[in-house]
Amino acid sequence: MVQTVKKGFIAGKDNLWIFDLLDDGAVRADLGGSDVLRTRASRDALCVVCKGSRMLCGKSRCPVVVRVNQFFRTAPLLSEEVDGASPPSVFVGRIGYPYVYAGPMVPPVHEDTSFYDLPELWFGKAIDEIVGFRSMLVRGKYRVHVRRFEEAGKIMDLTRELALAVEPTDVELGLTRKPRGFLVLDDDVQPFGPSAPIRDLRVGNAKWDHQVEKAYYDTDLRAADAVRELFTKGVLVTKIQRAFSVGAFGLGADRRLVLTRWSITAVDSILSNDLMGKIKTFPLINEFRVYESTYLENQFEVLMLPDAWSYEAIEAWYPGTVWNPSGKSIVMFGDWEGYDGRTTYADIGGCYYAARLAVCELLMKERRQARVIVLREARPGYIMPVGVWQVRENVRNAMRQQPLKYNTLEEALKRVQSQFHIPIKQWINKSELIKNALYQQKITKYMRAKVP
Amino acid sequence: MITSISILVDEATYDITPDGMKLRAMDPSRVAMVDFEWPKTVFDEYACDAPTKMCLNITELLKLLKRAGKDEAVELSLDEKTGRLQVTISGKYTRTFNMPTLEAAEEEVPTPKLAFNAKIKATTQGLREAIEDAALVSDHVRIEVDPEKLVLHATGDLMGANIELKKGSDALLDLEVKETVKATFSLSYLNEIIKTAAATSDIATLEFSTDMPIKLDFQQPKEGKLTFYLAPRIEVE
Repeated sequence: MVQTVKKGFIAGKDNLWIFDLLDDGAVRADLGGSDVLRTRASRDALCVVCKGSRMLCGKSRCPVVVRVNQFFRTAPLLSEEVDGASPPSVFVGRIGYPYVYAGPMVPPVHEDTSFYDLPELWFGKAIDEIVGFRSMLVRGKYRVHVRRFEEAGKIMDLTRELALAVEPTDVELGLTRKPRGFLVLDDDVQPFGPSAPIRDLRVGNAKWDHQVEKAYYDTDLRAADAVRELFTKGVLVTKIQRAFSVGAFGLGADRRLVLTRWSITAVDSILSNDLMGKIKTFPLINEFRVYESTYLENQFEVLMLPDAWSYEAIEAWYPGTVWNPSGKSIVMFGDWEGYDGRTTYADIGGCYYAARLAVCELLMKERRQARVIVLREARPGYIMPVGVWQVRENVRNAMRQQPLKYNTLEEALKRVQSQFHIPIKQWINKSELIKNALYQQKITKYMRAKVP
Repeated sequence: MITSISILVDEATYDITPDGMKLRAMDPSRVAMVDFEWPKTVFDEYACDAPTKMCLNITELLKLLKRAGKDEAVELSLDEKTGRLQVTISGKYTRTFNMPTLEAAEEEVPTPKLAFNAKIKATTQGLREAIEDAALVSDHVRIEVDPEKLVLHATGDLMGANIELKKGSDALLDLEVKETVKATFSLSYLNEIIKTAAATSDIATLEFSTDMPIKLDFQQPKEGKLTFYLAPRIEVE
């Protein structure tokens, strides 16, 4: 059937089967029929037919089951007043741009919540656990224009203060109604907690990061320079990105809110661009290297070749994975850049820049230059996207391992072949840089003896 | 001229002798080489007492040179004591910039030792357009030459292109072929090289052999020399 332009939606009340997915009978009895979770699905969405039981989407576990169960674990704790320790965490949504919803994220608990919003600490955690604590974060929403946030008043000021805090900070979040979750059943959005508009906000004494604070008060420091400077001083990427998103950096008049998803890639891109410039002055590595890491059913094989800096990232999605839900065959996406870098946004999106930062960090540390090719296989067990951090931390983990070293590209490719399910031929076919390394001759080859 | 060099290298070492200045450099991935010479006759005035080397950041130099208008004179002078290059542009008014020189590379770059089986003389403009046509469909191009014509053959993922320059056409001036030759080259390199060379040169001479590097010589208005070498792409199945 040809899909009509206007999708038919099924309202939440028709999706009561969701409640049958709950493991915990008591919660189910409590919440059955209540309004705490809203759902939406297009009429022909697989989930509505499958109802979590038949694995129609091809994933190895049902993401809706995982999400709904984690969500209802927090649901009983929710009310119009959320009182807890924010990790700290803030979120700037994309809907309605330039009038966006910004605000703090607060879990209804008073404990050490610092890792709730610090992906640098998440590597190795299971998907259920990550969905679990992400679902705890109640998001307060406050409508604000991205450029006129300075005049938006106290709620916005406090949100920014919170974003710059170094450690969990007590927050009392008053909401206009009980927060509720929203689950789009045929879309693959990040795991997310419930949300509601903010009525009132109180933030306890926030201790600021000294370096970040300095950049915040310096209204003559450009945002990109602030990002670079803080990174050099050892501030975590996540913390830089959080401050970046609340308009804490940049020339005074140019400051603005930046959507959370944009701010992540902006920071990855600014930092790796800067590192790339330095890397190009370093000597080449001496051998062919392979770095490996697997996490959340995402396997990375990173190739480094002794050649001038250039970079490529290719990802392969199995049928049934996040970005290839209904396909019958494996889908491969990729993009690359040469020595001089790129000026357009990479086709594969934020992952490209996150992985680029991770590999640049290693080359910078070793003070070496290389041609880098990041290959990723996402397997059916990767049931929902958890965010770009997964790529950054997964590749960073690969970079922490001792590389496998080879004398020829062929040997290195053989190793990659032995680890991947997809034949190496397909990877080579997709990869501009591998093809280039295999086929493009060097002019130096013709300098020595006269070739007949 | 400096633009032509800048597409391959960011930093380059000039050899300066009483007879003129020379430069030979490879791009960072060592796929292409530029061989450039300006004898002293190219300059309105030229003075050099003893041979020296000067390494410059070409990108920065280019920024300064771009400030010079059409009828303005540019004077470059190297102060060996301070190691700085002075760039004076005089016209409606006089501006003097100075920039640092970098540590000169000791490495002497030899030219490739090649024997060519085909030699093609063409207009730079005609070549440029042919290369741009090919670049629409692919990122590399196979160049074939037989005694009658030059053919560019490009195959992309979806589209293909075939461009013919026949003997006697306006774009193709001369063709000397010992045997039919073909070789494949990266279009991004070819495109950049020819695009920038077209600014100073009307006539180009290409020389190559099957699966060997191509030599692109761009005839200069005075006695200058601008030659590029580009290594081939050899696909082995």
